[in-house]
Amino acid sequence: MTHSIKSIPRPPLAKLEEKSKWLTLLLLAVGLHIFEAALPSLGPWFKPGLANIMTLLALVLIGPRAAFMLAIWRVIVGSFLIGTLFTPTFVISLAGGIASAAVMLLAWRAIPNITLIGISLIGALAHMSVQFITVESLFIHQHALYYLLPPLLLLSAITGWVNGGLAAYIVSRIEESD
Amino acid sequence: MRYGYNGPMATLASEKDLPQNLWQWFKGSWTDRLILLISLIGIFASWQWIHAYVSSGPPMVMIYHDDQLLARYPIPEAGKPIHFHAEGELGDSEILIDANGARFVSSPCSSGYCIAHGQRKEHGDIIACVPNRILIAIEGDSSDALDAIVE
Repeated sequence: MTHSIKSIPRPPLAKLEEKSKWLTLLLLAVGLHIFEAALPSLGPWFKPGLANIMTLLALVLIGPRAAFMLAIWRVIVGSFLIGTLFTPTFVISLAGGIASAAVMLLAWRAIPNITLIGISLIGALAHMSVQFITVESLFIHQHALYYLLPPLLLLSAITGWVNGGLAAYIVSRIEESD
Repeated sequence: MRYGYNGPMATLASEKDLPQNLWQWFKGSWTDRLILLISLIGIFASWQWIHAYVSSGPPMVMIYHDDQLLARYPIPEAGKPIHFHAEGELGDSEILIDANGARFVSSPCSSGYCIAHGQRKEHGDIIACVPNRILIAIEGDSSDALDAIVE
């Protein structure tokens, strides 16, 4: 069976633009994921969450579904590239990423007058909490793990707030350039 | 939807306005600040709660594999250090306990994060080797109080 060039349907330009935006954000998120993995550890399972800025951008610039998928694919591709795919680190990271994205989407929809800063804060807290719950329920069945949760939640609150501010700044620059 | 900023970007061109504009980006809305306040109250309350239970009694090094307590040692004031071998999912983890606290000396995990965390001796400190499922926790001598509450 042969197709002439004319018979191949072309996707709408808006759809292509959306896909290219999503892929750009995914590549940036994967880059930040790898960068964070290379940073010296600030504590067990603690990272500054810079890659989450891309999830926030996807939420605002493309939509909630795209943001959710980006959070999942970022962990899968990033873990594949740094060689931790299907290890406990991957499972913990994926659980945190999914929970964080889900909670951020809910907050975005449900909480009036919330900005990217509040959404990012809630996402960071959810990410950290779910990481601990995952470790406790799947790997080390010890409640002693939770001793470390409050100080790490405090760090998450700070980084979540800062990342939200950075995301808001980037969104405004992108909107201004459009 | 507000993104967390109020002013036009053009004002950023003036350097003398920069600190004020930085504040604009990171100040958040009243809703954000309320969420932060509630979060901080929750975090500090749970921190206090955990600290109160974990700090009861002299510090003890608890070594767990999964949900099993493998060993329990007081932190020695001085003298001979204790070497403990914990058998985990991947193999043998060597743990050293001396006057400076407890630490992983060797571990069969590939990441080596547990060894990199160094020594811990304060109440509430933990070092976990997730791949080998070994946990070192520094708890107060009367930590059973926490077990009773959690269960």
